[in-house]
Amino acid sequence: MSAILVTGATQPLGRRLIERLLERGEDVLAAGAEAEGGFPAAVRYVQVDLTHARQIRRLLFGPGQDMGVCCVVNLAHHRRPGQARARKLHVEATRLMLRLADAHDTIERFVHRSTAEVYATRSDRPDLLREDHALNLSPGAPAWIRHRVEADLVACTQMGMSSLSVAVLRCAEILAPEMGSQLYDYLGSRICLRPLGFDPIMNVLSLEDAARAFELAVLSDESGVFNVPGADTLTLCRAIRAWGRDTVGVPGPLMGPLYRARRITRRTEFRYDLNRWRFHFNGVLDGARAGAMLGYTPEHPIAWPGQG
Amino acid sequence: MKALNALRRRLNREQHRPLLPEVFKEGGLARRMLPEELRRAADSVRVNDQGHGIDTFGLSSGGAARGLAVTYLLYEHYFRVESHHAERIPAKGRAILACNHSGMLPLDAMMVSHDVMRHSTGHRAARIAMDYFVPGLPFVNLVFSRAGGVTGSRGNFHALLESDELIAVFPEGVPGIGKPFSERYKLQTWREGHAELAIRHGAPIVPMCVIGAEEQWPQVARIEGISVFGIPYMPIPATLLPMPVKYHIWYGEPVPIPDLYPREAAHDAVAVLEAAALVKAEVAKLIARGLEHRKGIFR
Repeated sequence: MSAILVTGATQPLGRRLIERLLERGEDVLAAGAEAEGGFPAAVRYVQVDLTHARQIRRLLFGPGQDMGVCCVVNLAHHRRPGQARARKLHVEATRLMLRLADAHDTIERFVHRSTAEVYATRSDRPDLLREDHALNLSPGAPAWIRHRVEADLVACTQMGMSSLSVAVLRCAEILAPEMGSQLYDYLGSRICLRPLGFDPIMNVLSLEDAARAFELAVLSDESGVFNVPGADTLTLCRAIRAWGRDTVGVPGPLMGPLYRARRITRRTEFRYDLNRWRFHFNGVLDGARAGAMLGYTPEHPIAWPGQG
Repeated sequence: MKALNALRRRLNREQHRPLLPEVFKEGGLARRMLPEELRRAADSVRVNDQGHGIDTFGLSSGGAARGLAVTYLLYEHYFRVESHHAERIPAKGRAILACNHSGMLPLDAMMVSHDVMRHSTGHRAARIAMDYFVPGLPFVNLVFSRAGGVTGSRGNFHALLESDELIAVFPEGVPGIGKPFSERYKLQTWREGHAELAIRHGAPIVPMCVIGAEEQWPQVARIEGISVFGIPYMPIPATLLPMPVKYHIWYGEPVPIPDLYPREAAHDAVAVLEAAALVKAEVAKLIARGLEHRKGIFR
C-alpha cells in the first residue's frame, strides 16, 4: 500500500491535483492549513501548520507512515506578500520535509512547486527562460521572491545528495483566484496601469495544466528542474484586453507610487516592486525539458473573460 | 452609464471588435499606409504564433507591417536604398546574416530589416540582434521587437536558430556604430559569437554590407561617462539630422559553415576564430566592391 502526500491541499491547485490523482485510483493523504478539507471520503485529510517542525514530523511519521506515502508533492505556497510566516513556510518547511523524507522508510520521491518568479528577468538575459537561466539572487529583490528562490535552491541542493528522487517544477504564473497570482490581482482593477512604452511578452498557466504537470511529475521518476509553461504567450496589453480591462500607460517611475496608493486604499495585493522587471522585459518559460522528460505540453488555455 | 459600460466592454473585446474598423487593429493603420507589394510582404512574414498572434520574442504580422511602414519613407525616399543580390538569402532554414555597422543610430539595422523583409524570397523577417540597452528604451523597444528585433543574448539566438529562423548580427557592435568618420568602412573588432552559433547549429552565414551608412552622420566628439537608458556614451553629431546619403545593401554568397566545420568544432576556439575571420574577410571584400560600384555618397 502506498499513497501520495499533497501539502497545500486546500488551495485550488491542490484540490485539482487530488481530483486527478483520485481519478487514477491513487491513495491520497491531503495536508492543509484549514480545519476541514472538504474532500471525498477516499482522501485522508490532516490539518497541518507547516511552519511548525513538530507538526511536519508528526505528519510524515504519523499518517504518512501509516499510509505508506511514497511521494510528497509540496504545493504549499504563501499567497500574500509581506507576511512574516512566508520564509518559514517556503524555506524552512521545505528543508525539513526534504530531510525527513530522506530518512523516511517509504518516501522515494519529492515534487516541489516553484515559480517562474525565481528567474532573473533583465534586458541582457534571454527572453526564453530555460532551466539553466540565471536566478534572481539580487540582494535588492523583495523578500517574496528571495524566499521562493531559496526554497527552490533548497530542493535543488537535495538532488544527488540523498536517495530521494527530487523534481522541481517551476510554473508560469497560474492565472486563477486564490493562487497568490500577482497578475490575477493586477487584472482585478478596471483600469490597469502599465509602464509607458513597454509591452512585454509573458506566459500564463491555467490551473488545469498546472495540475496535469504535477500529476505527470508524480507518475514519473525523472529528477531535476522542469519549467512548466502555459498555453498562453501574449503581451501584457493583450492580456489586459483579453481580461476585459482597459489599460493606460504611465511613466515607469509613477507606477510604484500609484500601485502603493491603490494597495493602501483598495486593500489589494498587487505590488509593483514584485513585478517591475517583468512589466518591462520579456520572459517566457521554455518547456522543452518538461515536454521531453515528463511528457508535459500545455493543452488548456486560459478562459479569457474579455474574449467573449 | 449602462450604455457607456456596454460600449466599453465591446471595445475591450479585441479579438472580435466589430465597433472598430480594420485600421485600428494592430498594424492596421500601417497596412493602409503601405503599397500593395509591401502589404503582401508583411502578411507573408512567418510568425511562430504562440496562440495570440505573436511569437515568443514579440514578432507579429501587425508589428512587421508597422516596422515596414515606419521605415518606408526612410528606405524609399530618404536613403533611396538599392538592394543587391537579396536572392542569396536562403529562402528557408536557419541562417545568419553578418553585416558591418555604423551611423551613430542603428538606421542601418532598420534598413537591413526592411530590405530583407521586402526582397528576400518568401519575405523572411530578419531577427535583428539588438544591443542590451535597446529593450530598455521606451517605445523604441516595441518598434524593434514587433518587427523581429531580438536582444542579442546567446539563449535567444539558440532558440531562434533551433526554430530555423534568420538572424542578422552586427559583429562590430557598439564600437562599430560609434566609429569616428575617419574610421569609416574599416571593420572594428569583429566579435566571433555568430561564428560559434553558426557552427553549433549548422547554419550558413551570409556576409553582407551596408554602403552609405558610414557617412550618414559624422560624429565630431562623444561624451563618455554619460549613460542615458543604458547607451554607453553621448555622441555629438556634426549635423542635426543624418545626411540623405544613398544606401547600397549588398549580400554575398553564403559561407557554407556546416560544410566547413562539424558541430563539435563550436567548442574549438581556434576553429571559431577562423570562421569569424573568414566571414569578416568576406564582408570586407563586399565593402570594397560596394565602394567601387557606387558613384558617390549621395548617388
